[in-house]
Amino acid sequence: MRRSHEPIAWSLFGAGGMLLAFIGPGLVLATALLPWLAAHDPVATHAAVGALLAHPLGKLLVLACVVLPLFHTLHRIYHSLHDLHLRAPRRLMQLLCYGGATLLSGVTAWWLLLI
Amino acid sequence: MRKPYVQRQRADWWLRNPAYRRYMLREATALPLLFYTLLLMSGLYQFTRGEAAFLGWLELLRNPWLLALHGVALAAALFHAVTWIALVPKILVIDTDRLRVSPTVVKRLHQVGAVVCNVGLLLLVLLLVGGGR
Amino acid sequence: MTETVTVRVQRYRPEEDQEPWAQSFEVPYSEDLSILDALNQIKDQQDPTLSHRWSCRMAICGSCGVMINGEPRLACKTFLRDYRGKDALEVRALDNFPIERDLVSDISGFIDHLETVQPWLIRSDEQPVSAGAYRQTPEQMQRYAAFSQCINCGLCYAACPQFGRDPAFLGPAALTLAQRYNLDSRDEGASQRMNWLNAEAGVWSCTFVGYCSQVCPKDVDPAAAINQGKVASDINYAVNLFNILRGKDDA
Repeated sequence: MRRSHEPIAWSLFGAGGMLLAFIGPGLVLATALLPWLAAHDPVATHAAVGALLAHPLGKLLVLACVVLPLFHTLHRIYHSLHDLHLRAPRRLMQLLCYGGATLLSGVTAWWLLLI
Repeated sequence: MRKPYVQRQRADWWLRNPAYRRYMLREATALPLLFYTLLLMSGLYQFTRGEAAFLGWLELLRNPWLLALHGVALAAALFHAVTWIALVPKILVIDTDRLRVSPTVVKRLHQVGAVVCNVGLLLLVLLLVGGGR
Repeated sequence: MTETVTVRVQRYRPEEDQEPWAQSFEVPYSEDLSILDALNQIKDQQDPTLSHRWSCRMAICGSCGVMINGEPRLACKTFLRDYRGKDALEVRALDNFPIERDLVSDISGFIDHLETVQPWLIRSDEQPVSAGAYRQTPEQMQRYAAFSQCINCGLCYAACPQFGRDPAFLGPAALTLAQRYNLDSRDEGASQRMNWLNAEAGVWSCTFVGYCSQVCPKDVDPAAAINQGKVASDINYAVNLFNILRGKDDA
C-alpha cells in the first residue's frame, strides 16, 4: 500500500486546531474591540503593535497565529468539499488548498521579515 | 440469482441525520476562521506599508460587514474550541507504566487551559491597547 | 382490541425489483417487544418471504444490524416502546452496504477489510505451546480491552460517511482491530499493520465524524481508535522521513 502524505497536512491541521481552541475566541474578540480600544490614541496602538512585531518572538507568534489557522481551515475545507461530492480533480483541490496555504504563509513570513 | 442493490451515497447525505449536520457545522467553522485569518493578514500587510495605512485598517475594522465577520468568527471559534477539546482525550492518551492520566482529567486540563489562555490574551490586549485611557 | 404498531419494512427482491421499496405491517404492541421480535412476528405470521438476519437475540452475535428510523441499530437491542408516539417506525437494510435481499446486507467488503489488518497476535518467534500462554499484566490488557469488544455487526460502517463515499476505506471496525493488536503487549506485528494504516484507505480517510462511536452497541469507540492510529501513523511518517534523510531505505 502506498504511504499517504496526509500526516504533514494533519499535523499542521492539528497544531492550528489546538491554537485556535486556546486563543481563537480571545483573539477574535480582541480585534473586534480594537478600533474602540485604540480610539483614544491610535498612534500608541500602532507603536504597541510595532513593538510586538519588532521582536523575533513576536514575529514568530504572529506567524504561528496566521500560518497554523491557514493550514487548519484549508485542510477542513479541502475535506469538506470532498464530503460535499464536489466534482473536481483531487490534485487540483490539493494544489488550491495546501498550495494556497503555503503561498499565503510565505507571503506572511515575507511581510514579517520586512518589518 | 444474486443481484445486490448497491446503495450510492447522495451528495446531501449530511442533511439527513443530526449527527452529520453537527459534524458539517463543526467543519464549517473553518470558513469564517479562514476569512478572519485573511483579515489578520491584511492588517499585517497594512502595517508594513506604514503608520497611516495601519491606522486606516484600524478604522476599517468598524465596518459593519467586518463586525459581522467578527461575530460569526467568534461563534465559530467558540464552537470549534468546545468540539475540539471534547475530542482531545480520545486522541491524547496518557497511559504508560510510569504515568497515567484519565481522559476526564485530560479534557478538564485542556478546558481550563483554553479559558485561561483566551481570557489572558483578551486581558493583555485590553491592558496594552486600552490601558492608557 | 390490542394496540398495534405500523412498521414500514424495506423490501428488495432481486428477482423482481429494480430498487428497494417499503411495505407496511401491523404488529401487536407490547412493552417488551424488540424490533427483532417484530420482524420475526411479521415473518412467522404475516409474510414468510421477508428476509432478515438474526441469531442470538442478545446483542452478542452482531447479525441483526439494520437502519431503524435512519439510525444503525441492532434490532434485538431496540424496542417498539422506544418509538411509541413517533410518527413512523421504518426499518431498512444497513446503509453503505449492497443490499442482498430485503434487510440482508452484503458485508463481505467489511469482512475483507477485517482480514487485511491481520487481527491476530503476530510474533517474530512463535513460542511452542509447551511454553505456555503469552503473559501480560491486567494493566497491559486494559490498554486495548475496550477496543477488543467489537462484535463485527457493521453498524459503524453504516454510520461512516467516508466508507459510504469510498468502500475501499478500511473503516472503523477494521482500523480499531488493528489498533487493538498494535496496543497488545504480546503482539509484534505493528510494523506490518502500519503499512495498511499509513495508506490513504487506512486511517487517513477518516475525518473524525464520530458517528461510528455513537452507534456502537458495545461502546468500542472506533473513532478514538482510528485517531490514535493517526497519531501512530504520524510518528511512523516522521521516523520514515528521518530514515530517508539518513540514507536508509523506506521502511
